[in-house]
Amino acid sequence: MKEILSHIAEFVAQNCTADDYTLNVEYSDSHETRFAQNAITQHIAGSNINIYLETVFAGKTGSASINQDDPEALKRLITTAENTAKLNQEDPEYVPSQGFCDIPKCHGAADATMYLNPEKMVDIVKASIANAHAKSASVSGMCEKHYQMHLTATKNGFFGIYDNSYFGHSMTLKKDAVETKVSYSSRDYATFKLMDTIGKLNTQFDSLGKPQSFDPQKIAVILRPSALMDFFGFLAWTMNRRYADEGFSPYTDQLGQSFFGKDFSLASLISDPDLSSTPFSHDAITAKDTSWVKDGVLANMPTDRYWAKKLGIEPLRGMRNLYIPGGDISEAEMLQMVPKGLIINRFWYIRTVDPKRGELTGMTRDGVLYFENGKVSHAVNNLRFNEIPHEVTRRILAMGKSILCESDSKMPTLLVEDFNFVDKTDF
Amino acid sequence: MKYLDLALNEAEILGADYADIRIQKTTSQSIYLQNQSLKQTSNQVLDGYGIRIFKDGAWGFAHSNVYSAEAVQKTVKRAFEIAKLSATAKKGAGLCLAPERSYIASHKTPMSIDPFSVPLSEKVALMLEVNRILKSYEGIRQAVFYLIMNRDEKLFASTLGTRLELSNTFIDPIIVATAVTAEDSQSRTFDEGGRAIGWEWIESLDLTEKAKQIAQEALIKVKAETLGAEQRRSLILDPNHLGLTMHESVGHPTELDRVLGWEADFAGISFATPEKLGNYQYGSKIVNFVGDNTLPQGLATNGFDDDGVPGQKWHIIKDGILQEYGSTRDTAMEIGLGYSRGCNRATYYFDQPINRIPNLYLLPGKEPLTPGQLIADTEDGVYIQGRGSFSIDQHRINFQFGGDFFWEIKDGKLYRPLKKVLYKSCNPEFWNSCDAICDERYWRPFGVVNCGKGQPSQTARMTHGSAPARFRNIRVGGSQ
Repeated sequence: MKEILSHIAEFVAQNCTADDYTLNVEYSDSHETRFAQNAITQHIAGSNINIYLETVFAGKTGSASINQDDPEALKRLITTAENTAKLNQEDPEYVPSQGFCDIPKCHGAADATMYLNPEKMVDIVKASIANAHAKSASVSGMCEKHYQMHLTATKNGFFGIYDNSYFGHSMTLKKDAVETKVSYSSRDYATFKLMDTIGKLNTQFDSLGKPQSFDPQKIAVILRPSALMDFFGFLAWTMNRRYADEGFSPYTDQLGQSFFGKDFSLASLISDPDLSSTPFSHDAITAKDTSWVKDGVLANMPTDRYWAKKLGIEPLRGMRNLYIPGGDISEAEMLQMVPKGLIINRFWYIRTVDPKRGELTGMTRDGVLYFENGKVSHAVNNLRFNEIPHEVTRRILAMGKSILCESDSKMPTLLVEDFNFVDKTDF
Repeated sequence: MKYLDLALNEAEILGADYADIRIQKTTSQSIYLQNQSLKQTSNQVLDGYGIRIFKDGAWGFAHSNVYSAEAVQKTVKRAFEIAKLSATAKKGAGLCLAPERSYIASHKTPMSIDPFSVPLSEKVALMLEVNRILKSYEGIRQAVFYLIMNRDEKLFASTLGTRLELSNTFIDPIIVATAVTAEDSQSRTFDEGGRAIGWEWIESLDLTEKAKQIAQEALIKVKAETLGAEQRRSLILDPNHLGLTMHESVGHPTELDRVLGWEADFAGISFATPEKLGNYQYGSKIVNFVGDNTLPQGLATNGFDDDGVPGQKWHIIKDGILQEYGSTRDTAMEIGLGYSRGCNRATYYFDQPINRIPNLYLLPGKEPLTPGQLIADTEDGVYIQGRGSFSIDQHRINFQFGGDFFWEIKDGKLYRPLKKVLYKSCNPEFWNSCDAICDERYWRPFGVVNCGKGQPSQTARMTHGSAPARFRNIRVGGSQ
């Protein structure tokens, strides 16, 4: 496949007459086995190639994409992109494409994922269903694997190619009012331990009974890693240097300031072999270990190439993965640290309420447990929160060990006081 | 197309119980303009085919972008092998497909001016002018115009004997003005959600006037007050806002695959379970929801769905009572329906079609009623225009919505503009609190072009519609 992608890059280099161009080629091959209510409901396999070319004539840009790679199609691609640029208006924010630079090393595709066969994936699903039968419950989820190879090349000499892989298996187990989910994902299928994942699912499932009614209020919460991933994953969307500088986000004038809780740090790492990453972005910004928040100080924000040039700084690619360093407090110890509280497994349907203040809303999902006097008491109904993530970090009371919760997220368990629940639902 | 017959013959030789092939070419043009900078002017083509094989009560789906006899045969074989594997993990006898007849038909989105034939320079000139108008208002920090045009051309054939040629086009212009002060930043958006129509729609919209309106309203909004503490009030919701509310609180709960639990792991399930059909008071007696995949200019008006089932019109809620779901050939039989409502749609050729929301709308009130009369009849309430923050639980019961522009109503008049208004409610409280709907003169359609669902995720399109409606005794307040 590497030869095919390189050949496309050569073809574009030889035939594209634009002043400047950026080419992105992505080959993907996927197998997805979806199951619900103890049976496979969807089963999908196939590969695709997407070729995206942005061209520039005299500061005027135009782009095109196709998913065919024969010479005629590539000629059409170049012609369409070039004609679009020629007919366009000049872009005052055009920045010449990235030139040659060294490509950082990232952990690529894993053989075990690439060679995982459909029969084995169905076996994983069957084992998940057998577990559900044993618990007189139903299970729904997805077992999937993906392989991807990506090439970026520019007229100015940037050339990079990488591959990566993804394996994921998720299970939502449901019986009457009890409903909970566990998922696992990694670039390397070899790290997957089915029985461990099923064991975790069963433990979580068994901890939940028929939910008792619980009214919304400000209360201490233990946010488990998957909940934290959902909650802080939104920062990847909202933390942007230009948006902050132009006054649209809560981070305006906060760079270098102690804006988060002092115990809170957030980073993206390419050096961590557990975390999936890619060595460069589609606009050829190379990746590096980047601290976004360091001990509560807003240290960096993703910055695109235009804004970086305007400010005279280096561009910073977006958050490809997220790492929140943890501490050494166990969940059992957290239960003792506050008189009462809730344990949250996951959140769901998080949306921005107020972009300027950074306020979010969302629901709990997959089981909420009430605890008091150091012990878990019972499950409660799901609740709606309205909260501001950076303010939440100022209310951290304790942090657990950071663990891999998805292939792109390494998170701890957090104990946070006064989490703002504003509504409840009836399950 | 020779590959249609080749695929189906191959599937029958292999022993498929049912098979179809969907050759789909998706062409789109997107232009993104931000503060006079053309961030993206792009023409995209995705071209390939997906083959579904139904064998022993289970599905297999394989796709390819390679057009050759060998590739088609290989893809059929792959889909068949996958179907056989799926059948080893089925429940009971597996799935059944609702009966359907064969069709030889075509459908094309009616339009006067093909949006792809309009010169790029004309589109960009309009966008730049709108952008310039927005930026001419002091205090508007960011002006965005995003224009997308999309065409799906499909050839569909199935072992039932169906042969379809479908071509569906839509346009979606979105304009955003963002005002910034030292204390706040607020946006106002023009977004009708897209329509299946030609460029003549854009010409009829008078977007330069719309630009002035949203720039002025963004400036009003950023300086507006907030509502303060939550309390129970009346809500008057405009059709654009209601489009999203009904999408989340009626459209998704009445997708039959959710009802059956097929989305339990990701998008969620539904409280609107089959035993409620025909007896559940989903809304007040004036609440009538219709699924209608024949709606002119509707984004889900495709002639046929990706099961080869024709577009239909039916009541989902009648006189407030839950009547029926949006269904597909495989979900319908799970509740013994015996026929599909034609809601199986895929986004791209490489997507296996899934149960989607049809065009779904709230019928207008039967008595003459204008928005002005509705406001005049409201003592204490909030009027919400446009779409804002939205979130709903995974059973589709509890929800919280914002909006795009707000007016406080006092003593039957628009009293003052507001910002950051939120309302919280749940099913069935919300729709049962609906006590007035304006008449058909004020009914308007609004599209949704980005309905995310499924694993792997797909983005579907459908149109909603309503006249302005009032909801009593809803919890309404300012954000935190």
